[in-house]
Amino acid sequence: MKPLYLFYALAGTILGTITGVLPGLGPLGAMAILLSFTLKMDATAAMILFAGIYYGAMYGGSTTSILLNIPGEAASVVTCIDGYQMAQKGRAGAALTVAAVGSFIAGTISIMGLMIVALYLSDIALRFGPSEFFAIGVCGLMFLIRLTGGSILQSLIVTLVGMALGTVGIDFLTGAERFTYGINELGQGIEFLPVAMGIFGIAEVLQSVQGKEVPKSALKVRLRELLPTRKEWKRSIPSMFRGSVLGFFIGLVPGPSPIISTFVSYFTEKRLSKHPDEFGHGAIEGVAGPESANNAAVGGAYVPLFALGIPFTPAMAMVLGTLMLHGLTPGPNLMKEKADLFWVVIASMYIGNFMLIILNLPLVNVFVNILRIPQRILMPIIVLLCLIGVYSVNASLLDLLLLAIFGFIGYVLRQAGFQVAPLILALVIGPMIETSLRQALKITGGNLAEVVFRPICLSLYLLTLLCFTVPLVLKWTRRRQG
Amino acid sequence: MDRKRYRKQIIISLALFGFSLFYFLSALRLKMGTPRNMGPGFVPAMIGVLLLVSTAFHFIRVYRERPSGEVMEQSAEEAKNYWAIAGILVCTAAYPLILETVKFITSTFLVGFAMLLLLKPRNLLFSFLFSLGMAVGCFFLFSRFFGVALPSGFLEGLLFRIGA
Repeated sequence: MKPLYLFYALAGTILGTITGVLPGLGPLGAMAILLSFTLKMDATAAMILFAGIYYGAMYGGSTTSILLNIPGEAASVVTCIDGYQMAQKGRAGAALTVAAVGSFIAGTISIMGLMIVALYLSDIALRFGPSEFFAIGVCGLMFLIRLTGGSILQSLIVTLVGMALGTVGIDFLTGAERFTYGINELGQGIEFLPVAMGIFGIAEVLQSVQGKEVPKSALKVRLRELLPTRKEWKRSIPSMFRGSVLGFFIGLVPGPSPIISTFVSYFTEKRLSKHPDEFGHGAIEGVAGPESANNAAVGGAYVPLFALGIPFTPAMAMVLGTLMLHGLTPGPNLMKEKADLFWVVIASMYIGNFMLIILNLPLVNVFVNILRIPQRILMPIIVLLCLIGVYSVNASLLDLLLLAIFGFIGYVLRQAGFQVAPLILALVIGPMIETSLRQALKITGGNLAEVVFRPICLSLYLLTLLCFTVPLVLKWTRRRQG
Repeated sequence: MDRKRYRKQIIISLALFGFSLFYFLSALRLKMGTPRNMGPGFVPAMIGVLLLVSTAFHFIRVYRERPSGEVMEQSAEEAKNYWAIAGILVCTAAYPLILETVKFITSTFLVGFAMLLLLKPRNLLFSFLFSLGMAVGCFFLFSRFFGVALPSGFLEGLLFRIGA
């Protein structure tokens, strides 16, 4: 491992913590802004940076949840419940340490899981044909629509819009131009970067500008207050392990897995706890479990990307976009041909998790002070970085216009209550789904039944069907009983 | 849902339906091919149909939700923020239009300064100096550190020589 990679791991964890601390600007926004910066790095360095940002943000979000009752990002909402209550009782330091240690344990467990599952899955994936990849792509998007939250219809519309955008450009099989309207630059398709930066960078800024800026005053934490008591350790360690295992497996499922994992972990801890009445009033398990779960979900989310080349979360779509910008196509072949990339990223995750724990706890007050930077200074910087970042990739004025257009679209859709994350995923997965379908039908001579009724494909379709029908059946049963 | 929000939702659902219709009609102009040899328009047409159906359904759903009749009062600060949002969007859209004409530093400075003004500046001189610093800082960061070829004129050439 080169020393420069260690620097990128450090930079990633620090940047991730900062973005996790800042409400509104999540890991996606940070990755979108930094996507263009990674062009001058090699692919491994870019992956290390992004991995650091992702799990750094998961940890950073807990700091503001505990000290200010403001979740830095969505995966830390649950931590507010008991974390802030602990802070009110003078146990902020203990809550922060438990969150940090939990994140470290979860990170380590999920990396081990990633190593085992990704290697095993990539071996199996080498035997997959276009029908299987089509099924994985379609089912992945369907899961995402079901689990994104909010209205299923709205998520479906956003997903279809993303897929529609993915069809713009020259058709790779026939060479025909599609939806280019005489604009030559559109022949290469709508680039991922301006869409991602517009939707997660510019739209995020507009959303933040719309909200009222509230003065934030955080509790100060002294170094000696950081150590939990023996009783607190005893109560939180089993929760950390349970949260880690739960988080990793939830991370394998398409959708906003870090967020879902925190809720599942919280309610599991509450059910298993000997003191369920303490939940909501400062139960340490309510911090340890969810904080471990969201970090473990990060490792889990890497599995489908490395093993299958399919991103199941928007953040992984960003990582995929970065790899593609570097001319690499993730998937089972990449794990074989570029094994060094996989192992260096794994090693950097271990080191990054260690850096998080030794850097962030002593520096917790410094990170909280970042919140004092006024919006009117921060927002123009973010917009300018997005603009210059997009321009620096292709020197294309069209990309800049697309950035503005998608910034506006992202803002408007959010205002109407749409979840925009599926759009990005569909833009990335959409072309792969189309290619796989066309290849599969060509192989089978146009026989759709042969494409659908293959064992793996059929299992996936049935699983997706269950994902949609089980909640409806449960709802119906409950209504009949109640 | 108050009347204003209802109107907003109706406009957005109509815009989505309009986009779907436009996409579907454009897809129909492409070759469809056969299931064995799918043409470039086959998948877009399928997406177009699904989009049309789902956006039409969404529009009907929004339309059937009656507004409550009351109009939520907008605070002065909120109205001001909407101006700032519109301004930032204009700045973002204007940047590509001026970038090649007035070159990197001037265009970045102008856009940065305009955004700082829109976001309630405390001090005009501070906004001026801060945006100038941002423009120069970004120039050095991207051109020297990342080696990006930015649109350059006299100012950029001069700075590049000073930096070297």
